[in-house]
Amino acid sequence: MAKIAYYPGNVARAGASEVEDCIQPLCRALNIQLVEIPRSSSDGGNVIKQATPKLQDALVARNLALAEEKGLDIMTTCATSHAIMCNTADDMKRDPIYAATINNLVERTSKVEYIGETKSWHLLHYLVEEIGLDTVRKAVKNPLKMKIAGYYGPDMQRQGACAGDDPFMPTYMEQLIEALGGIPVEYDSKCQSVGSTSMLTLEDSSLAMTAAVLSDALQSGAELVVSACTISHINLDSYQSKAGRVTGKSTSVPVCHLSEVVAFALGFYPDRLAQLRTRVRLIGS
Amino acid sequence: MAIVAKVWIDEDCITCDACEDICPEVFKVTDDTSQILAAVRTDGTFDRNEGGSPLLGNLGAELGDIILEAAEACPVEVIKFELVGEGVDVATVEAEAPAAEAAVAPAAAVAPAAGVSEALASVFSGDRNLNILFGSQTGNSAGLAEKTAKMAENYGLTPHIVDMDGLDPARLASMKRVMIITSTWGEGEMPDNADAMWNAINANGPGLSATHYSVCAIGDTSYDEYCKAGHDWNNKLAALGGREAHPIQECDVDYEPAWRIWVEEALPRLACVDESGTLQLELLEEMMAYGAGDDEDLVEGDFSPGTIQREELTISLEIFRYAPEAAESGWDTLTCTVPGHATIQDLLLTMQRDVDGSLAFRRGNGAGTPTTGIRVNGRIVLADATMVGDVMASSGRVRIEPLPGHPVVRDLIVDTSRYEGHRSRAEPWMRTDPREGERLPSGMAMGTLDAATATALHQAGDVHAFQLIQAMSDALAHDPHYEGPGVHFQQWLRVLDPRTSEQQRRTIMNSLQEKDGIWSEADLSSLMRYGEDGRLAARGLNEARGALLNQNRYAGKSGRLVKWYGRSVKWSGNVNETTLYRQVLGPLGLVSNVFSGVSARMALAFTRNGSPPIRSLQSLLLPPAGLGRIPKMFNSKVDKYHEVVSLFNEIDQRF
Repeated sequence: MAKIAYYPGNVARAGASEVEDCIQPLCRALNIQLVEIPRSSSDGGNVIKQATPKLQDALVARNLALAEEKGLDIMTTCATSHAIMCNTADDMKRDPIYAATINNLVERTSKVEYIGETKSWHLLHYLVEEIGLDTVRKAVKNPLKMKIAGYYGPDMQRQGACAGDDPFMPTYMEQLIEALGGIPVEYDSKCQSVGSTSMLTLEDSSLAMTAAVLSDALQSGAELVVSACTISHINLDSYQSKAGRVTGKSTSVPVCHLSEVVAFALGFYPDRLAQLRTRVRLIGS
Repeated sequence: MAIVAKVWIDEDCITCDACEDICPEVFKVTDDTSQILAAVRTDGTFDRNEGGSPLLGNLGAELGDIILEAAEACPVEVIKFELVGEGVDVATVEAEAPAAEAAVAPAAAVAPAAGVSEALASVFSGDRNLNILFGSQTGNSAGLAEKTAKMAENYGLTPHIVDMDGLDPARLASMKRVMIITSTWGEGEMPDNADAMWNAINANGPGLSATHYSVCAIGDTSYDEYCKAGHDWNNKLAALGGREAHPIQECDVDYEPAWRIWVEEALPRLACVDESGTLQLELLEEMMAYGAGDDEDLVEGDFSPGTIQREELTISLEIFRYAPEAAESGWDTLTCTVPGHATIQDLLLTMQRDVDGSLAFRRGNGAGTPTTGIRVNGRIVLADATMVGDVMASSGRVRIEPLPGHPVVRDLIVDTSRYEGHRSRAEPWMRTDPREGERLPSGMAMGTLDAATATALHQAGDVHAFQLIQAMSDALAHDPHYEGPGVHFQQWLRVLDPRTSEQQRRTIMNSLQEKDGIWSEADLSSLMRYGEDGRLAARGLNEARGALLNQNRYAGKSGRLVKWYGRSVKWSGNVNETTLYRQVLGPLGLVSNVFSGVSARMALAFTRNGSPPIRSLQSLLLPPAGLGRIPKMFNSKVDKYHEVVSLFNEIDQRF
């Protein structure tokens, strides 16, 4: 059984509880043991970083150190949280003096320090590289059988945060969708930002960016959009009708988080999958 | 294929730069008019070529199509040309063949290689000294002088590198050939080592009627007195009767490309100065050919080019095309093979030459020209400095698109006027305060930037081109008023520069805080993905935001978001979205979510249905829970959350 520490990110146990509902059963089905880190905190969401980069890095280093203390790598379902962990680990690796400063703070307050052995995984990369698409394929009970557009966002699409995938023309999500019995849809905007961190402060831009991604996916034939990012999921889903209204673009398409579609395909929540299929085929979003 | 015999510029050029953009090998646009470069003409002169001097060698054939394209693109139709067969015979265009056997040079100081004409051999006789004077503060000009000296040997010259410090100006009068390479220091001042000589030559300058010279001026366009020292020398030598063999060359901080152009044009001209001090321009073509020599003998700079061995690449090419006259866009696709060392620009040139001559793109000089910015397989790169093999997908796919964030003019050419307009208004150039600073023994002021600060400043802004940073923003295309990260990054670098005046620093900070300023970037992570350049820019802009938060005490929505995000994490270890919504949007903002349908969609939409319907109703019944499916109005605390509080208290007690 694979064993890995689990970091739910900032919203999976708050506004995006559907992610939390799905990650637990899907990991059980794939023989992955998720180890909780009850002391882990918010990673600062790249918001605290604007005021004090050192504070955000210390929060992240503390979370990584808590996983490292257990001798485990750490996995998250949120692309933003994954990218934040990778950034902090990179910055500490690049600059040993900075790393020592951060570790000194973390050690004094929390009695742990981040040596750099624990690495962050996003659920997508973990499934493709560590569990393997063949294992996933064998575990599928309800093939998705829908045209699905994967949304990566910009956060984890950079060298060092996207595992072995191509940062600019990624294919892992498409490979996983295929393994889950879905039909992957290619579209240009799959790595474009939807401005999720700025929805409260820059609503017009964020809505326009959200509408651009959704309409591109729709024009490319998508019946469903699957998001790798929990925070972007909120933009793509909850704000999609407003984005469509404001921009005049067609944005009406169901949006799920990656953990939801994997859980559905593995046989969990068959009622929700049935409703989703009905929506896709008869009603739309 | 068109073969152009000669090309010239009529009057009334509007200096729109179109010809130079299309064919920089032939056209150079000055302040007043476009001109035909000396290097492509048999008379070796740099002007409009009203006299109709033919093009050198095979250039008329090699560049014929591009010259015609430039002529066609000229909006005022002042580019005139004559095709071979229309009036000039091919034979008159081609250079005269060198003599089959070497002429015997009478007592030449430098023995020319075999195969030169008698006339050229006579030039090689006698004094072949070339004096390369450098005025240098940081060593850049001295380094260029050394490189220039090595290249001068290719032209049969005997170079002498001369430090201006201690040089008696009277000696200039005895020098037949002089090259001056000088930087400008501070506010248009001479470098340290040139200061004494400059004062001396002003006090008592010798007559220089027997001296041919050319000046290379190094400067920084962010200063008002750009390249002033070089211009001072150029004007002074002319005033003393010196003969300008080649016009002054200005070089910005990235000085190497401009210096290379200068040295390749000026050296053969000075090499044509004979024993009697006469510039034999009719020998220029042969001298240039002589200087180019065989590859084995070529000495260029201080290195020898290595042998490039790369396997050919078979690629599946996709090029974006846009025809404005028909408002049609699409993709050209084809499979082809390219040399392993080919750049994207090489690839495009080949496509233009062999497949479709109408393909439009911006060309560069091969050294990383900012205007060649382009998107290849999702990466934002400079076409003339990026090899195909470095960006090609493992499948062989190469997808080429225009630079994002700018309107497309045609095919791969974008209109950067919006960026330039924003940059012009942002004024990110240097304005200093009068400063005490350090002074030289001569009393001249010199810069006060210490080495560590200069290095840090350089590292903070060491990106290939700010135009590329501008194109990295995903938000830019969706907000027509947003000034963009390329502009803001330049402004922030200016703020970091200790030489910047306090008033300018305040002006820039206020401008960054304004409505279309730095907070209009919706997602800095869209920059982060573009390699080291993006990382540097995102880091700089994040620092700028931190400085603005401090300066403005967390004012505005962005300030409130940061403040309350931090507080909510400090209180429990977790983010509380309800708190954020309430504090950032205020009560009215929350209610607007209900009326805009956001809350309703959260409650009723299918896809985010991970909780019981009662939670959905919660958002409608309790407006503060404006996000909808928020399971808790108050977060539970993480285990040992006092550790988180301690971190906040240790690092930043403002939250």
